[in-house]
Order: sequence, then C-alpha cells, then structure tokens
Amino acid sequence: MTALDPAAPTRRPGGRARRLGLYALLVLVALIAAGPLYWLASSALKTNPQIYAYPPHWVPTDLRWSNFSDAWNAAPFDRFFLNSLVVSVVGTAIELCAALLCAYAFVFLPFPGKKWLFLFLLGAMMVPGHVTLLPNFLTIAQLGWVNTWAGLIAPGLGSVFGTFLLRQHMLTLPKEVMDAARIDGAGHLRTLFRVVLPMSRPMVITVAIVVMVTKWNDFIWPLIVTSSADMRTLPVGLLFLRDQETYANWGAILAGTVMVILPVLVVFFIAQRYIIAGLTQGAGK
Amino acid sequence: MSAIDDAGRRLRARRRRRDYLLFAAFAAPNFLFLLLFAYWPVVYNGYLSLTDWDMISPAKDFVGLGNYTDLLTDPDFRATLWTTVVFVVGIVAGGLVLGLATALLLNQRLRGRDVVRTLTFAPYVLSGAAVGTLWLFVFDPNYGLIRPLMAPLGLTAPAMMTDSKWALTGLVLVYLWKNIGFVAVVYLAGLQGLPREVYEAAALDGAGPWTRLRRITLPLLSPVTFFLLVTCTISTFQAFDVLAVMTGGGPGTSTSTLSWFIYDQGFRAFDAGRSAAGAMIMFVVLLLITAGQARYLERKVHYQ
Amino acid sequence: MSHSLPSRRRFLALAAGAPAAAALLSACGATTGPVAQPGGSVPDRYAGRTRTVLWSTFADVPGRALQDLADTFNRQQRDIYVDVQFQGTYDECAQKAVVGLLAGQAPDLCVLSDVKWYRFYFGDALEPWDEYIDPGELRATYNARLLAEGRVKGRHWWLPLARSTPLFYYNRTLFQKAGVPDRAPETWEEMYGWAKEITRLKTQGKRVAMEAYQKIDGDWQFQCTAWQWGGAYSRGMDVTIDHDATVAAGEWQRKLVHKDRIAYMSTDPAGDMGNQLIATLITSTGGLRKISEMAKAGGWELGTGFLPRHKEFGVTTGGGGLGMFKRVPKERKQAAAEFVRFLARPENAAQWTVQTGYLPVVPAATKSPALAGLLKKDPNFSTAVRQLPHTRKGDQVRMMVPNANVQIYTGLQKIWTGNTPARQAFSEVATRLRKGVDRHRQSIEEHL
Repeated sequence: MTALDPAAPTRRPGGRARRLGLYALLVLVALIAAGPLYWLASSALKTNPQIYAYPPHWVPTDLRWSNFSDAWNAAPFDRFFLNSLVVSVVGTAIELCAALLCAYAFVFLPFPGKKWLFLFLLGAMMVPGHVTLLPNFLTIAQLGWVNTWAGLIAPGLGSVFGTFLLRQHMLTLPKEVMDAARIDGAGHLRTLFRVVLPMSRPMVITVAIVVMVTKWNDFIWPLIVTSSADMRTLPVGLLFLRDQETYANWGAILAGTVMVILPVLVVFFIAQRYIIAGLTQGAGK
Repeated sequence: MSAIDDAGRRLRARRRRRDYLLFAAFAAPNFLFLLLFAYWPVVYNGYLSLTDWDMISPAKDFVGLGNYTDLLTDPDFRATLWTTVVFVVGIVAGGLVLGLATALLLNQRLRGRDVVRTLTFAPYVLSGAAVGTLWLFVFDPNYGLIRPLMAPLGLTAPAMMTDSKWALTGLVLVYLWKNIGFVAVVYLAGLQGLPREVYEAAALDGAGPWTRLRRITLPLLSPVTFFLLVTCTISTFQAFDVLAVMTGGGPGTSTSTLSWFIYDQGFRAFDAGRSAAGAMIMFVVLLLITAGQARYLERKVHYQ
Repeated sequence: MSHSLPSRRRFLALAAGAPAAAALLSACGATTGPVAQPGGSVPDRYAGRTRTVLWSTFADVPGRALQDLADTFNRQQRDIYVDVQFQGTYDECAQKAVVGLLAGQAPDLCVLSDVKWYRFYFGDALEPWDEYIDPGELRATYNARLLAEGRVKGRHWWLPLARSTPLFYYNRTLFQKAGVPDRAPETWEEMYGWAKEITRLKTQGKRVAMEAYQKIDGDWQFQCTAWQWGGAYSRGMDVTIDHDATVAAGEWQRKLVHKDRIAYMSTDPAGDMGNQLIATLITSTGGLRKISEMAKAGGWELGTGFLPRHKEFGVTTGGGGLGMFKRVPKERKQAAAEFVRFLARPENAAQWTVQTGYLPVVPAATKSPALAGLLKKDPNFSTAVRQLPHTRKGDQVRMMVPNANVQIYTGLQKIWTGNTPARQAFSEVATRLRKGVDRHRQSIEEHL
C-alpha cells in the first residue's frame, strides 16, 4: 500500500524492504510492458519447428532471418512501406499546412463570428470516425479515388486537434513580435513562416509527429478504400499476409508484424518527448 | 463629417475587408476538409439510416425510422450494446485503476523509472493491427506465451480468442496493455503538480499513506481522472483495429461491439441502413457523454 | 462591417456548396456504367498486352498453384497478361467486389463461392458466360453436375473452378497408435467409440482431440452433419434450421465440445490437423495438398474417406467458381474468357487438381497423365472424385439469402464456444433467416 503514496519520503530509515518491493514492482511493470514485444521479436527469428514447440524456446538459437524475406516475398512489403510512407508524410504535410494557416487566421486575423466558427471547428471532433465511414467511402468512390493515394489521404486531412494545439500555442506568443513584424511591412504569409513558425517549432513538431503516427497506424480506412495489394498500407497488408500464410506459418507473420511496428518504435524512442507531450495534451486543464 | 475622417474610415474598412478575405483564404482549406469529410458525412449518414439499401442495386428504398425500430427491438442488437458497455467499462475502469497504480509507482524516486515509463508508453503508439496480431500469438493456447506462463500454476491455457467465455476478457486485456502507459503518463504529470506542503501537513497529523491517497491525492487528481474518463470512454467506444484483427466480433457474437457492428453491417453484410442507424446511435451516445462532461465542468467552475 | 458581408456570404456559400454538390453526385450511387480496372502493374516484358485482373481467394498452396497457371498462360501467348490478386476469404473477396463495383472499379474475373455468386446475380451484376464461350463448348468441357449449379434461366453465370466436397481426413499414424481400424468410420457412433482410444494419446503434452470445427464458414461442413441427422437448413425457401433433426445435429457437436471435451472450434483446423492436435477433420478437398504436405513434414500418414453417416449419408458440394461482372467492358471480358478457356484445358485442369486437391471440374482432366497417375498412386486424391456422385446441392436459403451463411456460422459458433443449447442458437438464427427470406423472396423468385 505504501507504494500508492505519491509523496512518501523516500529515504526513510527501515525503508529498505519497501524499496526492494518497489523495485520488484517496477521490474514487473517493465516485464508486462516489454515481455510481449520481446516474445514477438524473438519468435520472428525462430524456425518453424522452434515456434511450434512446447516447452517454448525462450531465446532463439539459430536465428532465422529468412522469416523476413518470406514475409517480404509473400506480400509486396516494399509497396506497403511506400504507401504507408506516402500516406503519412504527404497526408501530414497537407494537414499541417492547413492547420497552421487556420490556426494563424484564428489568432492573428479578424473575422466576424470568429468565436462561433472556432466552436464549429471543434465540433468536428465530436463526429466519430464510424459515422463518416460509409458516406466518406461513397464520396471517395464518386471522385474515382478508391484504391488511390488520393483516396487514402483525403478523408483524413481535416485537422481539429492540430489546429487547436497550434492556436493555443500561438495565443501565447508575445504580441509585440507580431506588431514589429507587421510594422516592418511583412505580409501575413511572411509573418507566419518567418516569425510564428520558428517560434512554434516544438508545437509544430509535436503535432506533426503525432499526426504522422496516427496516419501510419490507421487501419479501418485503408482496409475499406484499398482493393489491390499494391495500394495497401502496412497494417492492412499485415492482415492479408496473415490470411495468406495462415497460422501454419507464424514465423513470416511475426516478421511482418515486426516490420510494421519497428519504424514507429524507433520514431517513438527518438522523439518520445514530443509524442508524449502531444498525446497527453489537454490533461489537467 | 470631414473628408479626412471619411477617407480614414474607408481605408480602415478596406483593410478590414482585406483581412476578412485573408482569414477566409487561410481557414478555407481546413474548413473545406472538415465540411466534406466530417460534417457532410453526418448528414448523409443520417439519410442512409432512413433507407434500405444493399449497396449493389441502384435503388435506396426510403423506410423512415424502420432501421431504428428494427435495431432497438432486436435482442441481438441489445446484446451488442451490452457487450459495448462491458467492453468500455472494463477498459476504461481497468485502465484508470492500473494506470494510476503505475503512475504512483513511477512517481517514486527509483532508478530506471524513466526507462520503465518509456516502455509502458510504447504500446500506446503501436499499430492496433500489429498489436492484435502479436497478441493472437501470445494467446495461442498451444504455442503462445500464455501456455508456459500458466503451466507452472497447474492451469491449462484457455483458447482465449476462440472461446466465447474468454474472448471479451482477452480483448480487454490487450487494450489495457496498449493504453495503461498513456493513462499512467497523464496521471504522472498530474501527480508531479501536486503541492508537497499538503502532504507534509497531513503526515504531521499522522495520516497514513492509504488515508493520504484517499483523502488528498485522489480528490486533487479528480480533474485529471475526469479528463481521462471522457477521452478514454470516447476512444474505447470506437476501438476497432485490435478487435477486428483478433476476434472479428466473434466467436458467435461474444465480442461484437457497436463499433464492430457498424463495420460488419456496412462493409460485410452490405446493409447500409442498419449500419448507418448503428452509427447514428453511437454518435448520439458520444454526444451525450460529451455534453455530460461539459455540464460537469460548468458545475465545477461554479463550485470553485 | 456591412462591407464584409457579401464576401463572407460568398465564402460560406462556397464552403457549403462544395459538399452539397458532392451530395447530389453520390446520392445517385455508382451502381451503373462501365467499371475501371483495379490498380496493379504489368511487368515490362508483358507491356502492351491486355491486362486481365483476377480476384482470387486462394492462399498458400492453392494460391501458388493458381499463380503457376497464370504464369504459364502469360508465357504461352502474346496478347493477354493475367494479374492474379489475392483478396482474402470468400467473404472478404465478395465484399471487395461489392465495394469495388460501388466505386466503379472491378476485376475482370472474380472467384465467388457457391454462396456468394447469387448475391451478385440477384443484384443483376453478373454477365452470363454464354456470349463469350459457346454453351455447347461449356457443356462439352465441364462436369455436368457442377456446371448446372451455376446455370439459371438457361444461362451460365458461374463457372466451376475450385469446386470441392468435404472429405473425412484422418491421421493414420494416430489411429494405429490408438489401435483403431485404419479406415474412415462408417458412422458417427463408430467414430465416437474410436475417439475414446484416440483422445488418450498426447502430442506436445496435450491430449489429441477428435476433431475441430472451422470458425469461419463452418456452416458448410455442418450442413452435411444436419443432413446426416435427417435435418436441413431449409427446404426450398422454408427455413428448417430450428426443426428437431437439425437441432439434434447441433446438440451432437455441443456434447462433443462441452461434455466429452474431445472437439473444439479453431481458426485454422487444417493447421491443427497438420500439427497433430486433432486426429480427424472434415474439411474441403481443396485442403488435401496442403494437409498432405504438412503430414509429410510432420512425419505422419494421412488417410481420407467419405463422411461418416448417421441416419443417412449426406454430403454437399461447395468451393469457388468464376464470375464476370456485367459492367466490365467487352474487350476485357473477352480476354478474361481466354484465360478461363486456358484453365479448362485438360492438362491445366489436371495440374490444378494435382497441386490443390480440388475436384477435377473438367472430366477430360482425369485422363491426363499427371492426374491419372496421381489418382492411381495416392488414393486420397480419388476419394473426392468417388464421393462426387453422392453429393447434393446446398440448401437454398443458405445460398440465396444474403448473409445467411454468416448468420448460420455465427449461430454455430455460439454452440461451439458458448455452450448455447442448439435449439436456442438455431431458433435465433431461424428468426433472422425468415426475416431475410421475407425481405428478399420477391427478388429471388424473379431471378429463378
């Protein structure tokens, strides 16, 4: 129970047993979090007889890297990577530009009924993705964009979360800098890119990464809007790899799973400061 | 009214008009996307929910509220709603309790806690499809991780994903694994903002750790809890990817949540009207939850 | 302020107008007009050919077999390039086709299951083959019984490809270890008696189960069980799944799963068979090659036989055939028909059967050396051929009422995994099926 106390003094005499207990809990939490990931990574390197064995091989002995080439050959992973990359990078770039312009407008430009418009914008956050599924599919179908990059990207372009965060941040920028820029005769676009953008860098990076990771992981929309293997993104491609290999070949399926997870994991470990800040934004308000 | 005044006013008016136009131009792309892909779909989905359409034939038959009365009198749909409630409550309540416990642990001055914090948060950013695939393997009763873990306890690993007694529990566990890090980090930020003096005073009064947790920490954290409650509830209602990959609503209908139902009716059974009606019901439920949040916050502000 | 109004109004009008325009467009739906081809690339050496896209449901062993045939076809002639695209299970492939047709994009050839093709036929989405392959030629080529399953109103809408019947597979090695006769059981009672011995055996520390039921599409196998118990899903358009005989068949399996604990539901029963977790399995003859290979790799011997009987003998046909969508342009249909002709050549049909285990849908194929030799050498491959004359076509409601198969296997899953009494599970399903019949009866009767 003492572990539940946030402010318990930590160097109390006789706290040795308590600290040992705390460390045991810490290790347990770490094991629960990372154990399945280790099981995935190690199994992806096992031969099939090792995978289908009991008791299990905790550490793969002869590493079978060919699970990865099996997966790569069974499904066009190069295309999956390309599609995921295009969808998340191009999609993020467009969404971010739209969000930046929009946030700037709300902070630095006048417009009648601006407040109501902003509420209207926030209202879009109330619309669950499931409500938009069928209509968006019909819209994209009508545009002839099914199974194209445009179709994959377009419905995700509207930005509420990003616009909101960027606006909140821009509101904190010192007015004098803006006024100085205006007096210098800088136009709004110039002010945005020369003054506001550099001053909002951390927030822009946060929004960009969070939006990009969300797009990378998106599942239901690519599942619906793609119909050929060469247009699938990684998460949907993984599903088809599983159908294709069936459970008789877990090695290749797990290798495919690693390929989907690894890029995000790397980005996360490098940029975790931004990601955590972005995803936990709004708490404590 | 002097000429100078007039010219000044005209100049200001022109500048204002230019600014309005500029606002419109800047805000237009984002608004266009949102109108086309967020607001318009609500209207169109509402219309679809009033029709009977198999998505193959050209005709959409108007059936009024038929789909809604059909759904609300259908025992299976009621079962779906109940499954959704169990699923959401399991994940949200479990997530809050375990997340808070993790946060309290990570708030201790322990070596390596930053690494552990990173590790627990990592699953939250991973693709649900990949997480689902990974856990299918972990849950495999023959070759998965659970068999060797349960064997020493003398237990046989259940077929988590193909046993309708276990499937929902299994899904809840996976979503907990994925979400706890997020809850913990949000709570951790809250914990670190708590005033130390209150605790010191309480310790002097002889309040034990359990009392301090109940009487001080939890009340002070209540805004954070509330934020988490609402965001987690909304996102769990819509949870789809892990579920789709792991159980596809089955076995039987044991993991068929509203989110799965909408997809299943729309894109597998091609009953556009039922799917759309299900989606509208979800929309209303989420609106009510959000409205409830707004009212609560209002009251809280008033109270203070 | 007043000066700003026109521009604001114009802006709002613009913003509101765009989706309204899209609304008008999409309200019409894209259910008519010619369709485009799904994406994909043509390898350089085949550049300039007519591309034919085939959406397939075949993974793994049969998937490779189909790809081999497409490769041969692409090498052998100069006009057409066949692009085989895997789309998942029968359900998933049909879903993609519906969604594709909505989006004005559809394959030239589509593998459709014995259940799914009706949905497209009733939706007037299929093109009869008769205009592209002479009906006389069709009759001379294909097995009459199987060809007739795709014929309505005197036209052929669905051509046999990966047609199958369920087979009884058993692990001869485990049978020998258990000391039971090395053959398929005559009746379910006999099987049940043997199971007592068989389920004492262990593999990898686990007791061997008697059999496993397939999670998705398991309604196909259970249809045979229902027939064996004297029941059926439907008689004509009358739903009979909740009648006593069918319920008794459901109770039989419920008892095996929940009381005797010698059967269970699995996502991949064929894989479990391969890994010797179960000793017997009823599944499609199309799994024969794959299970044979797994047996060889696992060092055990595979046997096959007819399905066990109970009150009567009952076995159905199933599997996939080829459909062509009406809205595909003519030249592409012609190219598609060329590939279908190629698949129906005796040597190719034989190769397909040899590499998969599916029924030889072209009778002449059984005389080609490859298949004739195999049929002689490996009796397992001839079981399905011998069983074929005893088959009957599936129950009408399951095949023709949209989504009926999903309703039925969902009900079965409740029996297998939730220990739901068969009467309860089936009466729920029956309610749904009857609703479906009421809703679709008119359209079905018009089309038959």
